[in-house]
Amino acid sequence: MADLIAQYGPVWGFWLGVGQILAIMVMLLLTLAFILLFDRKVWAAVQMRKGPNVVGPFGLFQSFADFIKFVVKEIVIPAGANKTVFILAPLLTFTLAFAAWAVVPIAPGWVISDINVGILYLFAISSLGVYGIIMGGWASNSKYPFLGSLRSAAQMVSYEVSIGFVIITVLLLVGSLNLTTIVDNQKAGVWAWHAFAWPTVFIMFPMFVIFFISALAETNRPPFDLPEAESELVAGYQVEYSSTPYLLFMIGEYLNIVLMCAMISILFLGGWHLPWGPVEQPFLGFLVLYAKIWLVFFMFAMVKAIVPRYRYDQLMRLGWKIFLPTTLVAVAVLAGYVAYNGRPVIGG
Amino acid sequence: MSRIVQAARGALLLDFVGAFALGMKYFFRRKATVNYPFEKNALSPRFRGEHALRRYANGEERCIACKLCEAICPAQAITIEAEPRVDGSRRTTRYDIDMVKCIYCGFCQEACPVDAIVEGPNFEFSTETREELYYDKERLLSNGDRWEREIAKNLELDAPYR
Amino acid sequence: MTKILIDGTEVDVPAEFTLLQACEAAGVEIPRFCYHERLSIAGNCRMCLVEVKGAPKPVASCAQQVKDQRPGPNGEPPAVITKSPLVKKAREGVMEFLLINHPLDCPICDQGGECDLQDQAVAYGRAGSRFDLNKRAVEEKQMGPLVKTVMTRCIQCTRCVRFVTEIAGVPEIGATGRGEDMEITTYLEASLTSELSANVIDLCPVGALTSKPYAFNARPWELTKVESIDVMDALGSNVRIDARGPEVLRVLPRVNEEINEEWISDKTRYAVDGLKRQRLDRPFVRKNGKLTPVTWDEALAATAQALSGDPARIGAIAGDLVDAESTKALLDLMRALGVQSTDCRADGAAALGKGPRQGWLFNTTLDGVEDADALLLIGTNPRTEAPVLNARIRKAWLRNDLQIGVIGPRVDLTYPAHHLGAGPATLRELVEGRLSFVETLKAAKRPMIVVGAAALARADGAQILRLAGKLAAAVGAVKPAEDWNGFNVLHTAAGRVGALDLGFLPGPGGKDAAALVAAANAGALDTLFVLGADEGALPEPGKSTVIYLGTHGDRGAHRADIILPGAAYTERNATYVNTEGRVQYARRVVFPKGEAREDWAILRALSARVGKTLPYDDLAALRARMIAEHPTFGAVDYAPGAVDAAAFDPAALGEEGAVSDAPFAPAFADFYLTNPIARASQIMAECSAQAAARASARTAAE
Repeated sequence: MADLIAQYGPVWGFWLGVGQILAIMVMLLLTLAFILLFDRKVWAAVQMRKGPNVVGPFGLFQSFADFIKFVVKEIVIPAGANKTVFILAPLLTFTLAFAAWAVVPIAPGWVISDINVGILYLFAISSLGVYGIIMGGWASNSKYPFLGSLRSAAQMVSYEVSIGFVIITVLLLVGSLNLTTIVDNQKAGVWAWHAFAWPTVFIMFPMFVIFFISALAETNRPPFDLPEAESELVAGYQVEYSSTPYLLFMIGEYLNIVLMCAMISILFLGGWHLPWGPVEQPFLGFLVLYAKIWLVFFMFAMVKAIVPRYRYDQLMRLGWKIFLPTTLVAVAVLAGYVAYNGRPVIGG
Repeated sequence: MSRIVQAARGALLLDFVGAFALGMKYFFRRKATVNYPFEKNALSPRFRGEHALRRYANGEERCIACKLCEAICPAQAITIEAEPRVDGSRRTTRYDIDMVKCIYCGFCQEACPVDAIVEGPNFEFSTETREELYYDKERLLSNGDRWEREIAKNLELDAPYR
Repeated sequence: MTKILIDGTEVDVPAEFTLLQACEAAGVEIPRFCYHERLSIAGNCRMCLVEVKGAPKPVASCAQQVKDQRPGPNGEPPAVITKSPLVKKAREGVMEFLLINHPLDCPICDQGGECDLQDQAVAYGRAGSRFDLNKRAVEEKQMGPLVKTVMTRCIQCTRCVRFVTEIAGVPEIGATGRGEDMEITTYLEASLTSELSANVIDLCPVGALTSKPYAFNARPWELTKVESIDVMDALGSNVRIDARGPEVLRVLPRVNEEINEEWISDKTRYAVDGLKRQRLDRPFVRKNGKLTPVTWDEALAATAQALSGDPARIGAIAGDLVDAESTKALLDLMRALGVQSTDCRADGAAALGKGPRQGWLFNTTLDGVEDADALLLIGTNPRTEAPVLNARIRKAWLRNDLQIGVIGPRVDLTYPAHHLGAGPATLRELVEGRLSFVETLKAAKRPMIVVGAAALARADGAQILRLAGKLAAAVGAVKPAEDWNGFNVLHTAAGRVGALDLGFLPGPGGKDAAALVAAANAGALDTLFVLGADEGALPEPGKSTVIYLGTHGDRGAHRADIILPGAAYTERNATYVNTEGRVQYARRVVFPKGEAREDWAILRALSARVGKTLPYDDLAALRARMIAEHPTFGAVDYAPGAVDAAAFDPAALGEEGAVSDAPFAPAFADFYLTNPIARASQIMAECSAQAAARASARTAAE
């Protein structure tokens, strides 16, 4: 926003900044509405069902109906709950989920805040997300939410470690923390995308997979939805929530999922660049990135549909005993490679 | 050896790829969903839906208050009180089914010696209040009157297998 | 004793045992319909077939005796086989024949679930019938308001016929026709006149005779079954009370060889519908001449106020159905208040309660009646006062050639008796040896003299008691050496002996029941506490405050100024002492109605109100105190009988003096309406009306 203020003066600059933020928020919420429906439709399709198909054509307005339902319902706060924290928790989750988007470039030149430590900022914000869940679980004053939030905290902390290392590998390749730079590093085409670029593909493709899986765990998506495992914990930290607070939790959660999809696209799949060459036109770039986010989300949805839920010890084992060593070794090897050969200039 | 194979399969995501292929196969299959309020599945003659008390063709209620259904009911959803009717026959003065308790096991119709209590083909009897699901004798008899044709047909179809 | 092999097991049984009894001794159960331990052997159902080694075909085990069996070729004991294929096939054949004419109407049959035929058809029945013809149908018979008949179900076991003929002694049921046309019927379809008639319902192995008032009410599996004690007469018959929810539905006898064998009177069985009518379910206080419902708090306050006056102007009377605990609580309360005028003999039998305990007990014991060989009934009619005892006497008459003399009204006792006279004068003549029956008594090895409670309730009751005691002494009715005490008092009130044992009698300077009522009518009494006493005299209204603690809106409640609703005998755990002095526990089946509470608890609450808190907070503490102060209450289900007979001198009972010439009156006008519960019962009212109609018809015919 500082650049806007510098360019258009304090009043116009401020309002333009607010307008940008609002535009992103509205776009995100709209995306969310349809991505939720998409999630349910994919899930249903794999199970040979039709999924929601009553509200609007093909059930397109299902999410809006759900939204109205959630908002209209009564807010129930348990008698033994800590009211302040109880209300604060979903608000925190919701706010943090939006805040992360401040540094995400959605098209060439389209970013609210083009800071040069963007990826660190993202990392910090998504780490804070666990607080919303812990607060919600604790404030409910009920055992299932509490257990769910404990699990969630442990899970998110565990997988953040490997996510961090995976990001380091990308940083090693790019040499910058700025997300726009990271994207532009892959502009040559699909052979320059970090996931597939030669000769680092042997390290980076596994890193891409690990990032994908860790993203599932980080966002509590199946098969790592242990914090809200229905068969054990009813609905985990959300048990006592209803109505709008529940809605805020849900929006926060799905925003995080979309954020992770965007991150995967940006870090590994070339951001807004087409597989056969760079894109400079912002609107086209936006569409390309948008399509990639949907594609990655499709993978998220498919995983939900086809992989059974992990047991808690399996989850921990995967995080600490497989991903952590693998990413450590990858960072070391890649660092060595970069140290001796210099950063590979991908795609010329 | 098998552990190594297993680890290799895991590392190469072979299981996941297989599952993904299977998932996609079903993704494009014809959907099995029945568009419920507009289309309905065929029901077996043995379908156990809403309860009904039947009558004989001459209008006399079948139930003789033997209380076998009450005794067999695993959910103890049935309450019966009986006394001699004016003509001396054994009749219920009260026949209540708590449809909220009922688990639709069908034991009551199996126990009934006169095919009086039956579980009919109707499964669309949701209500807005709980109280409406406490069926009394009058309600059950009117169910029987309403569904008699279907119930009689189902009993007839199922008779050879009993 | 004879040895016999039952299924390879050798048992040693008396030679006169039947094979069926021998099998039972060996622990083998034989199915049966017509056979019953207490009835003569008919041998007509053929269900009890067994195989006897050497016999050409199966034999009916109920009809053959052990001594009739031939030993084996080498002198082994005779062998009976009960589990062979032959036996099974034979019994299955019998069962098939029985079921040919038995309708398949178990679902509408009240016997369903507790039916011998049903149970045994499970073991011996075929899946289907081979009988294609029409089944027999029999018209229903009229057997009165208690017994419902569905004669199509009858399997002609004739248990009912044998019962009314042998036990009840009124041969009113019989069989007509033979073969398939055989029907059980009453003579000209008249109602049964026996007080024990409803026992045929228990005896009937199928649903042919069922309980009319209980018809279609409930299934056996729905009932809560509680073993308890009956209070309709002073025998304390053992009963099982069946309830569903808050309602007592029926009463069944329990086997107790020492008291009621397995019979109970119709009143015991059917008065229970009185437990739900006319009940006092909330406290009342009379305001401006009208009984007004009030809260417990108000009622207790009013009661405490009424009891706060001069103890000499307060009295208490205990009634017929009260349990020992309530009596004890009331007695303790009254003594704590300084009240001496307490009396449990509401009927006026003021001679009782003095002297040794044997002076008011049925010392021979009910079981002992069977050993007696001469019996004198003084002013008592056991047929109405204790029908089950009457069946015992009849049994003794059948078996022992019991000689029976009666002083009192001329009544049909179901067995022949020498009617010696109508009043006390006859008794005096006996004492003086002027009647020949005294020789019979003297000659008897085990003579019995039974004095009715009603005879002692007369103004000259004490003198009559002395005469009876003298007679007992004169004829040697008390024989300590032979463990025999032939002096008996037959009570009619279930609570009386318990109250006498507790000493609920006037203390020093206290008034007895009659004096209390007289004092109240003369204005010399302020407050009278009536504990369930509805039978005796009550003071006129307006001159004193009457506090009534009881269950029914009966005589006592109508006169009362303050009503405290109590618990009936099915609604509390309580102790009763029967006429033999046998302590038994009645158990709670249902809870008291409405706001009613257990009597002792009311008295305990009241004691706190008047500042004399009784030293017990629960029933166990009350019982413990009762047993500590009156050790006889510690011996449960024990009748003292002839114990301490040596120290007992019947001639010292009562008082010397002149007796009036008025004849002995019956203990009560109507067998069916002797207490508040029975009077509230519709079924008892119906029975009573029928009995009255029969009596008037008989008078008209004569």
